[in-house]
Amino acid sequence: MKIPRIPDAQLDLLAERLSAIGVGRRDFLKVAAGLATLGAAGFNARPAAAAPKLGPGEKLAKDQHLRIGGGGWWQNDPSSHDYNKDLYCTGVAALWAGLMKFDVNFQPVPYVASKVATNADGSVWTFTIRKDSKWSDGGPCTAKDFEWSWKRQMDPASKNPYSSYFYDIKGAEPFNKSKVPDASQVGVVAKDDWTLEVTLEGPRGYFPVLSAYLAALPAHRPSVEKHGDKWTEAANIVCNGPFTLEAWEHNKVMVLRKNKHFLGAKDVTLDKVTIPIVPLESGALPYENNELDLSPLQTGDLKRLRDAPATKGQVFRYPFPGTWYLLPQVTKPPFDNVKVRRAVAHAIDRESIVRVADGFAIPAHSMIPPGFPGAVDDKKIRDIQRFDPKAAMAMLKGTPFEGGRNWPKITLTMRQEGLGSKPLAEAVQSVLLEHLNMKTDLEVQEQRVFRAGLWQHNYQFVWIRWFMDYPDPHNEYFDTFYGKKTEGKRQAWVNDAFDKELELGRDTRDTKKRMANYAKAEEIMQTDAGYIPVAWVARWAAAKPTVRGLEKNKLGETVVDGNIYVDMLPQIYMVEKA
Amino acid sequence: MGLSTPASGTKITAGPRPLADPDGIRAPHPVAVEAGTEVRSSSLWRDAIRRLLRNRLAVAGGVVIVLLCLIAIFADVLAPRSYTKTNFERLNEAPTRDYPLGTDQLGRDLLSRMIYGAQVSMLVGLGAQIIIVAIGVPIGAVSGYLGGRADLYITRFIDVMYAFPRLLFVILVMSMLGAGLMNIFIAIGLTGWVGIARQVRAQVLAIKEKEFVDAARGLGAGFARLLSRHILPNALTPIVVAVTFGIPEAIFTEAALSFIGVGINPPTPSWGQMVGEGQQYIRSYWHLCVFPSIAIAVTMLAFTFFGDGVRDALDPKMK
Amino acid sequence: MVQYVVARLLWLIPTILAMALVTFLVMHATPGSPLDPIAEGANPLPPEAQKVLAKHYGLDKPLWHQFGIFVAKAARGDFGFSFVYKTRTVAEILRETFPISLFLGSMALALAVAGGLTLGILAAVYQNRGWDYVSVSLATVGVAVPNFVLAVFLIILFSFVIPLFPTGGWDSPSNWVLPTVTLAAAPMGIIARFTRASMLEVIRADYTLTARAKGLSEAPVIFKHALKNALIPVITLLGPMFAAVGTGSFFVESIFRVPGMGRFFVQSMTGRDYPMIMAVVLTYGVFLAIMNLAVDLAYGALDPRIRY
Repeated sequence: MKIPRIPDAQLDLLAERLSAIGVGRRDFLKVAAGLATLGAAGFNARPAAAAPKLGPGEKLAKDQHLRIGGGGWWQNDPSSHDYNKDLYCTGVAALWAGLMKFDVNFQPVPYVASKVATNADGSVWTFTIRKDSKWSDGGPCTAKDFEWSWKRQMDPASKNPYSSYFYDIKGAEPFNKSKVPDASQVGVVAKDDWTLEVTLEGPRGYFPVLSAYLAALPAHRPSVEKHGDKWTEAANIVCNGPFTLEAWEHNKVMVLRKNKHFLGAKDVTLDKVTIPIVPLESGALPYENNELDLSPLQTGDLKRLRDAPATKGQVFRYPFPGTWYLLPQVTKPPFDNVKVRRAVAHAIDRESIVRVADGFAIPAHSMIPPGFPGAVDDKKIRDIQRFDPKAAMAMLKGTPFEGGRNWPKITLTMRQEGLGSKPLAEAVQSVLLEHLNMKTDLEVQEQRVFRAGLWQHNYQFVWIRWFMDYPDPHNEYFDTFYGKKTEGKRQAWVNDAFDKELELGRDTRDTKKRMANYAKAEEIMQTDAGYIPVAWVARWAAAKPTVRGLEKNKLGETVVDGNIYVDMLPQIYMVEKA
Repeated sequence: MGLSTPASGTKITAGPRPLADPDGIRAPHPVAVEAGTEVRSSSLWRDAIRRLLRNRLAVAGGVVIVLLCLIAIFADVLAPRSYTKTNFERLNEAPTRDYPLGTDQLGRDLLSRMIYGAQVSMLVGLGAQIIIVAIGVPIGAVSGYLGGRADLYITRFIDVMYAFPRLLFVILVMSMLGAGLMNIFIAIGLTGWVGIARQVRAQVLAIKEKEFVDAARGLGAGFARLLSRHILPNALTPIVVAVTFGIPEAIFTEAALSFIGVGINPPTPSWGQMVGEGQQYIRSYWHLCVFPSIAIAVTMLAFTFFGDGVRDALDPKMK
Repeated sequence: MVQYVVARLLWLIPTILAMALVTFLVMHATPGSPLDPIAEGANPLPPEAQKVLAKHYGLDKPLWHQFGIFVAKAARGDFGFSFVYKTRTVAEILRETFPISLFLGSMALALAVAGGLTLGILAAVYQNRGWDYVSVSLATVGVAVPNFVLAVFLIILFSFVIPLFPTGGWDSPSNWVLPTVTLAAAPMGIIARFTRASMLEVIRADYTLTARAKGLSEAPVIFKHALKNALIPVITLLGPMFAAVGTGSFFVESIFRVPGMGRFFVQSMTGRDYPMIMAVVLTYGVFLAIMNLAVDLAYGALDPRIRY
């Protein structure tokens, strides 16, 4: 059935829900791309994934054993696998199955629920759960389990810092804030074993998205009650996803085994997954030494693996949208002068700068990377901050810094991090020096110290990266730049016209009109040089030729597990070595 | 180390020869010096210098140190290019004629950066060591000499300082004082003196029992004089060795600090940081890491040979 | 003597308390809050959430109160739950990782002592000849090349070029070789240098001359008379050195994927994981204090003139 169009006020709410769990922009933007067509084709369970496609002469490997890790994936031991209680547990998501899940194009699709229905205005949602939904101990995984799990998440006793995630559910907020003694008034009810009815505070067309997220995964009540916090240890855990946790040697390795009770088990080919805990410092060494089959890459390794004939075909790019940009602080000279800011924008030679990231960055002329809703490829906008040294110098006329002289002390502040961030910042310094004669000092700050100063707008000039969370321009611009935000603002820049466009975009229903609002917002922001986009993030990984089944999205990009799409492992299959 | 052969004889016969003592007086600094004239004192120094000069490796080390200092001081003149001049066309290139040591991730000339890096490394290494010696040696010496309760309290204090969370402290110092070279070696120095203190203490404990010390005391030498004239010169060995190790250690500590974001800020080149950041590229661009490592190793060797030479030169029992 | 040992052991208590206090103060004074979510790009927690978390961690109480609670619990071995690994207690984590670091550290130290003493003695005995130069050069290289560079070289050489060892892990003895060698390199160099320097001093001493004059052959002269006296500076070194390698090296354990406690030193500080910081610092401190006691006692054994 079709669900009512999701008004933009609701998108705003969704953004709020997701940002409260720290998922922020990154996943939000990805997901919002699918919101436009949410439920357009109804919410019935899709047919199961097709059987593994083998090439001519290929055979499935006898030993369906995949080893993944390294490059940032599980560089530290997870604190638990309990996503129901702790979204940041960094555990293995493939142990669980939620009512819905995100497919490779970040569309929510039914998973444990076979059907999703809603009432006329989208304020009551009914999930019909598959009767073959089971826990790994063979017991049924029912609507009651989901009811209990969601209430557990909202329970103030769980001390979740982000339980506002479910505040759309009627009665959730008072329960979570301890205004009522128990969860009896909360609008999540298991009408019977296989039907879950969720009553919301109002029309919320996006609710399926929330139910597809990691924060809505279930927990196994008997195990929790028996083992407490230790219930996700390998000996205790009972889960309902495609894999179970066979072994977990802390700080060393995790071993997953196919869960034969999983409702989609017949489509899961992999039998065993080994995940060693590999710190970043090891680089690609384990992968190159054939100790891993699939691993993301870091800067030092990409070029070498891409150039070597043996490994050339194994390297692929995967979407991990993010934007590096500069924030000239409008409350601190010399950046209080818009002409100075514009001059700086014109001096940024993006093409040259991204080379130093050795493949991990591409030039950016706006906030949203290409392929995502709200991406602007307008010549007009490209021109506003185009690289043009002459224009840069011309901008300085009439300012005290004409001709690139008399610059005060300027400090470019950044956070300590890898993946080419520092060389990019140094490249920025270099082009500013070359084209504006502006000397800057780079200040690399320790992570938390940096954040503390950022929120207080202490820094004069900031080099910062923002990950896209949610494929919707609303969240991208609103959460990062909205002037009227009371907290979590990264910069002091405020512009009323800009804010107005954002509000219009939020409240307009027409997609085309919305996009126009955001394009205008981008234009305003760039004209006022509230920020200066420099580069978009590119991420790479490598997979051995025996690894197959990695899904491609509609742009043709191979997609690996991230924060939204976590369905990689059930799709993978191994073939015999050629 | 000491390649010196006995000098013209001033050392053994005429010079300040220690009282013969079959029990093993390691100290060349006998009481006799007190009674000596100025002439004898200066001839001791002259002897030392002569011995030093005869020690070829020490001289080589000294020359390298001087060269390094000169390079550091005259970096502006010596470096073929500015260390900030980027070249986006030629990133991460291996050594070529144009760029004898290759280029780094921003296309900057590695040779120039190494030359400027000498400044930072020398400063960090030496600056931190100066603070370390200035704090550690007196504390260790006093503790060892006084013994008893004073020793007890001081060693407990040293124990506590040993366990001090240096990393946290550096983050704290840097966030309070801001980034900057001076603050880095203050932070490194303030937390790094414990090793030397214990070494000095150990030496002093051993030496203070020796007869010549009793003798000196008998002659009325006071506490400070005993320490500075008699005991410490014999405790030189571990101090010299510790300092020569301490210099590369300080360089690497600074590099390690930069990994968490409290080191020297780019684009200022520092050998330690160059090694640290080059490590991930070792298999793709070996030159980024190898050349600064060689520089650090050479510096260390130079200080090692020179330091040994100095210690040997001050020890007239060297044969 | 026994009195001395007892006194020193008793002194351990105030020393550890002092360590705890200093660390506690520095920790709380350092800017950056443990309450920030770890996720990249996450917004700061709303104020109520911060209050809830702070209460959960006991961070809302006054400092002296927090310290008191900490001491009381720590005395019972309870360091609380890690802020980063929320479902595991610090004690549990350390119990699993410390023995591994200790094991690796012991092997490395044994190798370093054996190698270092040998090199140092050779260098001193053959002063200014072949062995001396070889030894000093090896020692210098061992120290001047940082262990994270050496690690990669060794892996390339012995995992890729000559596939003898795996690139990391900690399952079988073949995993132990490369990390041990990497960790032992710098200590070996330091020990070699110190041994050499103090052997040289001792060899020149009169009593050595006497021993030789008495007609003793070279070996007993070196080993019986010279070495014992030369060892004092070396022993001084070993105490803290063992404490340092025994509590794990961040780089070596990371590159070789050794599940030791070394990484927690850095991780806990950047993550402001207060319970872990305290535990890690105290473990190191206690280990150190005990080693220093052992060293001081060893002085007594080596040099009868040193009396307590």
